[in-house]
Amino acid sequence: MSEKKFKDIHASRRAILKGLLGAAGAGALGCMVVPFGTIKSPSGKKKRQKIVKGDKLVYAVGPNAGKEIKVSDLALNKGTLAFPKGKEEHNNLIVLFHAKESEFQKPTKLNYITKGFCAYSAICTHMGCTVEWYPEKQFSFDFPHLFCPCHQSVYDVFHGAKVLAGPAPRPLPQLPLMISDEVIAAAGDFDGPIGPLPGGK
Amino acid sequence: MVYEWLNERLDLNRFKRKYLTKVFPVHSTYFFGEIALFSFVILILTGIYLLFSYTPSSRLIEVGGKKIPAAYHSILLINSQPLGVIIRYVHHWAAHIMIAALILHMMRIYFSGNFKKPREINWLVGMVLFTLAILAGFTGYSLPFDALSSVATGIGYQIANSIPYIGPAIAKFFFAGKFPAPGSIPRLYMYHVVLIPLLLIATIGLHMLIMVKQKHSQPYKNKDIAKSGKILGIPLYPQQVSLMLFVFFFTLSVLFFLASFLPVHNVEYFGPPTLQTPMVKPDWYLLWIYGIIKLIPGNWVIPLGSSASIDPEVIGGIILPGIIMTIIALVPFMYKEKEPLNYWEPVSLRPIGTSAGVAFIVMFLALSVTGYQAALNIPIVICRIYTIVLPMVAFFITYFIIKRKKREEVNL
Repeated sequence: MSEKKFKDIHASRRAILKGLLGAAGAGALGCMVVPFGTIKSPSGKKKRQKIVKGDKLVYAVGPNAGKEIKVSDLALNKGTLAFPKGKEEHNNLIVLFHAKESEFQKPTKLNYITKGFCAYSAICTHMGCTVEWYPEKQFSFDFPHLFCPCHQSVYDVFHGAKVLAGPAPRPLPQLPLMISDEVIAAAGDFDGPIGPLPGGK
Repeated sequence: MVYEWLNERLDLNRFKRKYLTKVFPVHSTYFFGEIALFSFVILILTGIYLLFSYTPSSRLIEVGGKKIPAAYHSILLINSQPLGVIIRYVHHWAAHIMIAALILHMMRIYFSGNFKKPREINWLVGMVLFTLAILAGFTGYSLPFDALSSVATGIGYQIANSIPYIGPAIAKFFFAGKFPAPGSIPRLYMYHVVLIPLLLIATIGLHMLIMVKQKHSQPYKNKDIAKSGKILGIPLYPQQVSLMLFVFFFTLSVLFFLASFLPVHNVEYFGPPTLQTPMVKPDWYLLWIYGIIKLIPGNWVIPLGSSASIDPEVIGGIILPGIIMTIIALVPFMYKEKEPLNYWEPVSLRPIGTSAGVAFIVMFLALSVTGYQAALNIPIVICRIYTIVLPMVAFFITYFIIKRKKREEVNL
C-alpha cells in the first residue's frame, strides 16, 4: 500500500468517527429535547355554562356581590357588573345598565331590552379586559358608553355596542333580558361569541 | 504571602500579565454597557433576596377573612419586612435601568458604526440579549399577581393566542393553559428565575468573550495616536477597576434613590385581581408596541381561508414589532465593508444610516406618546399621521444637516 493511499484511508476513517460522534451528540441532544414536547398543560378547560331563560342576575362586584338585582336598585344611568346566578364564571360576566328606552336604536336588539334595562357581555372583544359603564362624558364622548380601560375601545350602547373608537374588532354580544318578580333575569344566552377569538376565529 | 503561595501553584503572575493589563479605551459612552451589566448583577442579588419569601402560586388563600392569591399575599409579606419593599423596588427599577442602558448602549454602537465588520456577530448576540431582557421584564411583572399584573399578562396571552393556526398551542404551552390557569404563575416563575437568567448569563458571557477577543473599538480621535492593532486607554487593573467600582456603586445608589422616592408597581394600590380591569399601560419599553396596537384599525383583517385570519392585534403586536426587530438585527449586513472597522466612524460617512437611526428614535417616541392618546385626547387619525410624518421629517432634517456639514468641511 502506498503512503498516499494509506493517508486517504486514514483520513476517511477519522471522518467517519467524527460523523458518528456528531450523530451521537445530536441524538443525545434530541433525546433531551423530546421530553419538553410531551409537557401537557392541565386540561381543565371547562365549557362555559350557557345562560338560559329565567337565570336571575346577581351583582358580580361590590358589597352586594351575589345578591339579586332588583329593578328598583338601578336608577336611570346606573350600571353594574353582573353574573347569571349559579353560573358565576368569567366568560359569563355581564355589564347591565339602565338608560332611556327611547334612546335605543337598531342594530341593538330592541326586544332584548326591558324597561330601559340593557345587558352586554362585559368581556372586551379585543383582548378580554372588562369593559366599564360610563354614563357621562369621557374624553370626546359626551353620551353614555361602554369603555375598555386596556386599549380605550369605546362601544356605542344605543347602537348594538357598535365600536366607536379603539381597536376592538367586533361589537359586544347582547344578552336578552326579562323581569321576573321585580328581579332582572336573562331571557336567553348571548347573541354572539364572547371575548377575543383565538387564532383569528 | 497568600499571594506568593497561590502564585507558586496557579501562576497568577501570568494571569496578571495577560488579563489584568487589558486596555480599556476611555469615553463616557463605554459605561452604558457596564451600567446594564451591573444592573443585571443587582437584579440577581435582589432577586435572590426576594426568592426567600415569594410564593409562586395564584391559588386563593384565606387571609383575615378575605381570599387573595398566595403570590399576592407573599408580596404583601415581603413589603412588611424591614427592607422588603425597598429591595423589591430596587429590583424593579434595576430592570428599567438595565433596559434603558441596553438601549443607550445599542444607540452608541449604532451611531458610531461599530456594528460593522468585524463586530456583526456581537450585534446579533446583543439583540438576543436585549430580547431576553424584555422577556425577563414581561415575566417579572406577572409574578406579584395583583390586578395590574394579571391584566397585563392576560393581554400578552391574548396576543399570542390570536396568532393564526399555531397561536393557541403556543399560548397554552407558554402560559401552561389559559391565563390565569393554576399552572401559569409557576411556569412564568420558572422562566423568570431559572430559564431566562441562565440564558442571559450565557449570552452576556458570549458577548464579553467576543468583545475581549475582538478588542474594543476606539473613539475616532484615537486613530492618530494608536495605530492599528493598538488600543489607547487605561489598564483593567487598577484604573479601569476603580472606575467600574465607581459606576457600580453609583448605579446602586441611584437605584436606592429611585426606589425610595418613586415607588414602582405598588401592588397595594392595585390590589388583588378583581373582575374589573384597572387602567393599564405596559412598561415604557413596550409602550411603542402598545402604540402600534392602538394605531391599527380594527378592520385590518387578512383572511386566511375560512377558519383563520391575521387579526389587527397580530399585525400590531407581533408582525410589525417582529419586522422592526429583524431590520435592526440585520443592520450590519446592509453594509459591505472590506476593511475591518476598529474606530468610531464619523456619522457623516453614513448619512442615510444615521438619518434612519434618528427617524427610528423619533418613531419610538411618537408611538409611545400614542400610548397616551386617549388621556391626551388626540384623535387617532392625527396619531396615525404624525407617526408617519414625524420620522420622515426627522430623517430629512438629519440628512440635510449631515450634508451641509460635509459641504462646509469640503469648502474649508
